[in-house]
Amino acid sequence: MTWWLLTFSRGGPASYLSHLDTARAVQRTFARAGVPIALSHGMRPKPRLSLPLPLPVGAAGCEELAVVEVPDGLPGPAAALRELRAAAPPGLRPLAIIVVGDQHPRPQALEARYACLLEGDAGAVQAAVERYATEVSVVRERVSPKGRRTLDLKEYVVHAAAEPVPGGTRLSFAIRHRDDGAARPQEFIDLIATWAEVEPVMRGLERMRVTWRDLPPGPSPGAERSVST
Amino acid sequence: MNAHAPGSLDSCSEGWVRDEVARLLARVTRPGRYTGGEFNLRLKPAARPRIVLSYPDVYEIGISNPGLQILYAHLNDATPAAAERAYCPWPDMAALMRAHEVPLWTLETMAPVAGCDLWGFTLPHELTYTNVLEMLDLAGVPLHAAERGEEHPIVLGGGPAVADPWPLAPFFEAFFIGEVEHRLDAIVEALAAPSRASRLRALAAVPGMWLPGVSERPAQRQVFTAFSSTPPVLRPVVPVLEAVHDRAIVEVMRGCTAGCRFCQAGMWYRPVRERPVDLVVEAAEKLLGETGCDEVSLLSLSSCDYSGIEEALARIRVLRPGVRVSLPSLRIDSAAESLGRFAADQRGSITLAPEAGTQELRDAINKGVDEAQFEEAVRATFGGGFTGLKLYFMIGLPGETDGDVAGIARMAATAARLAKEVARGRARVSVAVSSYVPKAHTPFQLEPFAGAAVLRQRQQLLREAMPRNVRVSFHDVAASLVEATLARGGPGSDRLVEEAWRRGARFDGWSEHFRFPLWEEAAVATGITLGTADLLGDETLPWESAVTAGVTRSFLSEERARGMRGERTDDCRGGRCTSCGVCGGGVEMDVLP
Repeated sequence: MTWWLLTFSRGGPASYLSHLDTARAVQRTFARAGVPIALSHGMRPKPRLSLPLPLPVGAAGCEELAVVEVPDGLPGPAAALRELRAAAPPGLRPLAIIVVGDQHPRPQALEARYACLLEGDAGAVQAAVERYATEVSVVRERVSPKGRRTLDLKEYVVHAAAEPVPGGTRLSFAIRHRDDGAARPQEFIDLIATWAEVEPVMRGLERMRVTWRDLPPGPSPGAERSVST
Repeated sequence: MNAHAPGSLDSCSEGWVRDEVARLLARVTRPGRYTGGEFNLRLKPAARPRIVLSYPDVYEIGISNPGLQILYAHLNDATPAAAERAYCPWPDMAALMRAHEVPLWTLETMAPVAGCDLWGFTLPHELTYTNVLEMLDLAGVPLHAAERGEEHPIVLGGGPAVADPWPLAPFFEAFFIGEVEHRLDAIVEALAAPSRASRLRALAAVPGMWLPGVSERPAQRQVFTAFSSTPPVLRPVVPVLEAVHDRAIVEVMRGCTAGCRFCQAGMWYRPVRERPVDLVVEAAEKLLGETGCDEVSLLSLSSCDYSGIEEALARIRVLRPGVRVSLPSLRIDSAAESLGRFAADQRGSITLAPEAGTQELRDAINKGVDEAQFEEAVRATFGGGFTGLKLYFMIGLPGETDGDVAGIARMAATAARLAKEVARGRARVSVAVSSYVPKAHTPFQLEPFAGAAVLRQRQQLLREAMPRNVRVSFHDVAASLVEATLARGGPGSDRLVEEAWRRGARFDGWSEHFRFPLWEEAAVATGITLGTADLLGDETLPWESAVTAGVTRSFLSEERARGMRGERTDDCRGGRCTSCGVCGGGVEMDVLP
């Protein structure tokens, strides 16, 4: 078996897919392209495909990553990429395939950069971002089916900036991924919206770039990589 | 390749959606329901006429409807028209659309539905009727056809529920009665007429079209006689969102002449027409590639009755490794002999429909299955590897007694015993019980609805008699009451639908959304008694003034009489014509040699 790292962009209508639906769309694209995915063992075999960094519903992603195990002996990745592009649904575009050995560590996200458009008073949003920069600690509680958890956004969200643009304010920031997890983009957006007293409804959330640990060099330009040896 | 400049907002955000829509999408559950983006979506933004096709339920249900796929593919691929789609927004989205005054849009172009030339609804069953009104209202199209003008689309209804179009008559300009594949070109041509009035006149001339208040005689149900020689849809729209059905569909046969006396579909889709096995297998191969599915569903009203079933199963299974074949509708008498082969390498569960609990009642409803066949089918199910068996029954059938209901529990006990013996306890049995609703154009069309009290008493009886190791579920009696009222509604029954909708009724087929008190209030306001039908005895029935189904009243009356006497009627596929009235004038049974 061989592991492929497929980079792809998600935009347009595909932005509104959930993580599981995105994974299903990638899997379906492989099936339509006639590129087989290896199956897990057991009574109910599942395709060996994973998207290591879920993208929020409603967000576009400029360079997402899918880790796929394929059987040996397939045609080269260039031919497969052509077929995948032809088979993909609107808004989902395969960008590149990096072939890695089956012993290679799985890539792990280090930092992801986001941007979105917030409606409302641009000055207030800018003031909220400046306030965030001066705060030492911004603790928020996260409630999920797994229970309650507190996290300090300052430990995760960095490089926050606000810039007036037609229709609102462009808010950009980066989220660091640590061993204990990461903040969610919406948590930071909600914080800024609350402080700025604007509607927490944002448009055009976009993950522009992800920095990965253990992503080997490949044919895809524009991605930052940090390869551990 | 990704060419965005770091720190910019362009690149993969394509600006494809209007801002006002984007604001709503950010605030609803499952926004992917409203954005399209499926595999094989067709986009013809400059084409005219622009036709919107709708299924009045949520996206995940509507996208799984094969009928809409046929219309969509034909209109886009074989006519100059552009066909787009819109489904019923979920209540959270509907509330936001109203609050922000954003009209319903289509998935293809995100453009307002109201700007189309023709808005076609597939009407699957009565409990979607309030959703039709909801969609019209959300689109900004006046509810009543009489209030629409040149700037509004013509609203056309079709699908199985138009067997009685009266409950929706004032909301539609026209209804197409029957199978429409061979009339789509004529409908598109009619839309080329220069004015709304002339378009309606042209549509009225299309065979099968019934225009409320305009047509002087009932429309003859249309039969697609070229079904057998026409390939099924080979490039269906494939959802990226998880839908209720995720499989490639090949319709192998249309129509069923088994003659079950309660079954509207069995009377409505006559005569039987079968596709050649070669056509079916070629379609399956093409569809596996186009859809990326690993399961092919051989669709029909009774797939084990398809003459080429065994050859088709054998050939499809070897098309590619791991491909699964499902038969969504099985009659027990025909299934028993096929299940052994069908079940090979299968997992999961299967549904069998004995319908009634005793031989007497099964004979009365002409459900051709006896106890021995039932046991054989259950043994074949578990012997073949299935680990789940769902048995489907109805209560409230004409002539039913408490003894017949107790028979359901006995059959469930038999199935549970066989699960233990054959599957060694690894299989489970469940029973689904629905309430029988008499339907138009069936032998039981004049029978009274059993009523809520009787149905609830029999549900309780069944709960107490059912073996402990069998899970039983019931259909909501109140929903059946509404369904029974609308299934045989006459002129004026539309007031009940409109009143219920105005009071907030939506998604009535969904237990979490169905609110019976709203229907009770609407019934009081309109003076309509729930659970009754507008029957006029031997005079013309309300639906007969709109629809000529093909099966004759004399045939239906004779079948009803035979049912009351407990007499069976054989399937005409065996060679003996039952004189149902459908065949003739170019319409004939078309089965494989």
